[in-house]
Parts: sequence; structure tokens; C-alpha cells
Amino acid sequence: TRRRTGEALRAFHTAIRSSPGNTRNPAMKEQAQGTMLKVLTSFKSSEIEQAVNSLDRNGVDLLMKYIYKGFEKPTENSSAILLQWHEKALAVGGLGSIVRVLTARKTV
Amino acid sequence: MAYHSFLLEPISCHAWNKDRTQIALCPNNHEVHIYRKDGAKWSKIHELKEHNGQVTGIDWAPESNRLVTCGTDRNAYVWTLKGNVWKPTLVILRINRAARCVKWSPKENKFAVGSGSRLISICYFEQENDWWVCKHIKKPIRSTVLSLDWHPNNVLLAAGSCDFKCRIFSAYIKEVEERPSPTPWGSKMPFGELMFESSSSCGWVHSICFSASGSRVAWVSHDSTLCLADAGKKMAVASLCTETLPLLAVTFITENSLVAAGHDCCPMLFTYEDSQGALTFGGKLDVPKQSSQRGLTARERFQNLDKKASSDTANATLDTLHKNSISQISVLTGGKDKCSQFCTTGMDGGMSIWDVKVRNPCGPLRLG
Repeated sequence: TRRRTGEALRAFHTAIRSSPGNTRNPAMKEQAQGTMLKVLTSFKSSEIEQAVNSLDRNGVDLLMKYIYKGFEKPTENSSAILLQWHEKALAVGGLGSIVRVLTARKTV
Repeated sequence: MAYHSFLLEPISCHAWNKDRTQIALCPNNHEVHIYRKDGAKWSKIHELKEHNGQVTGIDWAPESNRLVTCGTDRNAYVWTLKGNVWKPTLVILRINRAARCVKWSPKENKFAVGSGSRLISICYFEQENDWWVCKHIKKPIRSTVLSLDWHPNNVLLAAGSCDFKCRIFSAYIKEVEERPSPTPWGSKMPFGELMFESSSSCGWVHSICFSASGSRVAWVSHDSTLCLADAGKKMAVASLCTETLPLLAVTFITENSLVAAGHDCCPMLFTYEDSQGALTFGGKLDVPKQSSQRGLTARERFQNLDKKASSDTANATLDTLHKNSISQISVLTGGKDKCSQFCTTGMDGGMSIWDVKVRNPCGPLRLG
């Protein structure tokens, strides 16, 4: 339903906005990762593209970082949906966004 | 646009003579080969053999016609043409790691060498001793210096380093020049003075370039970003996170436009918007070849699906002119303010010359 989609989108933007930028605190990072993973896996495949397109360049880079973090710690069904997020994020961010996941000094 | 395949191995570095009839390049070994243009062909006319390690940088002084080369053997040589023979003069750089890049200053009375010794050697000729001597710029460089570019005032030097920073130093040598007048980068320029330092990007700075006026400096980093510092805006830095693989070479072609190239094997245009202080991507400059659309058999479709999880043939081969990463760009005609032609060399052993067309002074640039 459109209301559910709207909520998922809002949760997504909130998670992106409130991502702890410069923290080294592992507990904070884990919590943020967990929240983001929950939000990403709550999306239907058809809703992903719209969500990615609503981000700016920095947002896409941040999303890509969380996607790869999600790959690092897979849960039962997470990889499938994360691959779909990866495909859409790659289409917008290009290989450069993946390069910046690899070169980032500050990880998510 | 013209492409010439010189080698089957990477061209490590290249430099052009003043009238662009000769190109000096390192064919991925310890030598420098000079080729001359003979109509449509290129003929090798000289082989310069003196280095004991790979030649990592070549620069050709347009007025004095001297070559300077540097290599992993920790040496630099200044070459002078005597009759039909290039004669080398050793320059002691006093470094204990490989030299990585070298550039003549605009007045050709100095040259700078960046090295793995985490410093820059500024070399000048001492008349009394008939000998090249060098001074070191060390602080606060923390890693290998990968690229250098001189400001038109012959004093300021931009350096890109593996410590992720772009810096501008003064390389003022009182023995060979007058005190420089103030510039937008500062007024006091004693030797070694740090005039500008970028905040860390997240990648090695592969290439750095001053604009023709010297009031802007741009650099490309291994984190797939392009950055520009504008002295006219109090050294504000604009940066662009590109969608491409890391860029390895960059040059200004007008005061507001740049061409960069790297691991995506094709040159790309970038524009600096003065009023906003923003960099934007202007498109790839390569002309894509028409890919042949042939039908796939069912077996081929299945094999593609198995191997690549996709059943179309797109991107099976590179449709760019260079078939491997481009590692260097040089301006051929027009200078850095009105470039009408530039040259790229790469790891595919090829050299390509590109024409730039300006449709109108304020309009977008196109590839001709």
C-alpha cells in the first residue's frame, strides 16, 4: 500500500540522516548497522529504485557503505534483498561509489 | 582524433618537444626512446640509455630543448642535444627511494623531482661549480610524492602525495631568481614555505595541475574524486565524487574546464562553475564504436547467464580507444587556457591525440 511505502521511505531517510558520522564507538556503529539493515530488508523490490533516486551523491555513497557492511554480516534472507539494493545503488553511484567504500578511512 | 600503438607494454611516461614533432617516452624499462613524426608514421630516432631503473618521469623543456628524466634508480639526468647525440648529466638528488615524477619550472632554470623519500628535490645549476645542486622540501610531506606542477610564477610548486594531500610549496631559489611578487596564494614565499594544504581526501593523489593563471589547482585521487582549490575564493576546495574508476591524470584545458582520465580508459570532461564553486561531470570524450549486434545462439545465452548472470553481449569488449588505463595527459596546442589538442598515453602502449572544439566561448566543449 502507498501508506506502507511512504513509511518505509521515511524510515530509510531517517536512518540515512541519523547515521553516526565520525564515531569510533563500536556499539553505536553496530546499532546503526542493525537499524539500516532492518530498514533495507523491509523494502519490497519494486520500491528500491525510488528510494535510491531520492538520495543525493553523499547519500548514495553512504548507502553503498551500509550495503557492503550488510554483506559482511549476512542474515538468513538479507543478501538477496541487499543485492537488489546494490544493483540500484550501482546504477546511480557508479563504480566510484564502490571505490569509495574501499578507500574510506571512516567506516560505517 | 588519432591513435598510435607504440608498444605492447605500458608507456611509463612521455614528453613532447616544443613543436610537437618529437615525443620522448619510456617503454616500461630503463630507457627513453625518442620518436619523430614522419608524415603519418613515427620513427624511432634516439635511444637514451643511462638509468639503472625504470624511468618514471620525463620532461622536455620547450625553449632550451633539454630533457630531464628521473627513475627508480634514485637518479635524475639532464640531457642536452650535442649534434645528433643526447648527452646526459647526472644530478644527485640525495634521495634513498625511487624518484617518481619530474617537472621543469616555466623558466627552465630549475626542476623539481618527487620521490618515495617523502620529499621534493628542487634542482638548479650552480655556475661556479658547473654542477646541478638540489635543495629539499620535506615538511610536512608524509609519503611518496606522485605528481608535481609549477605555478606560472616559477616559484610556487603544487605536489600531490600518497599521504592523500595536495600541497602548494614555495620553491624559491635566491641563487637563480628575484623575489617573487605576491600571489593569491600568499605574499611571503621563503623556500619550503607551505602555502596551501588540502584536507585529507581518502586516496593517493595521482595527478595535480595548476590552471594557466595559477589561481586554481586541481587534483585527482584514488578514491575516485576530483578536487579544485580556488585561490580567488580564499582557497575554498570544491570536490566531486565521480561515478568512475579512479582517475590517474588531470589537466586544465581552459580556466574553467578540465580533462581527466584513468582506469576507465577514456578522457572525461569536467567543468568548474565559478559562481557556485562547484565541479560537474561533462561527459566522456571517447567516441563509442558501433558494437556489432549479432544474434546469440541459445547455447551462448545460457553460457553468458551461467558465467556473468546476464545474457546480453554488451561490455564484452572495451569500446574505448585506449584498451587499458590512461596514465598521463599532456596539452599539445593552445596551452592550459585555450587547449585545442591534448595527448594521452596509457598502459596499452598506445598514444592518442584528441581535438577539443569550443562551440562558443560560454558553451560546452566538444570532442572534434
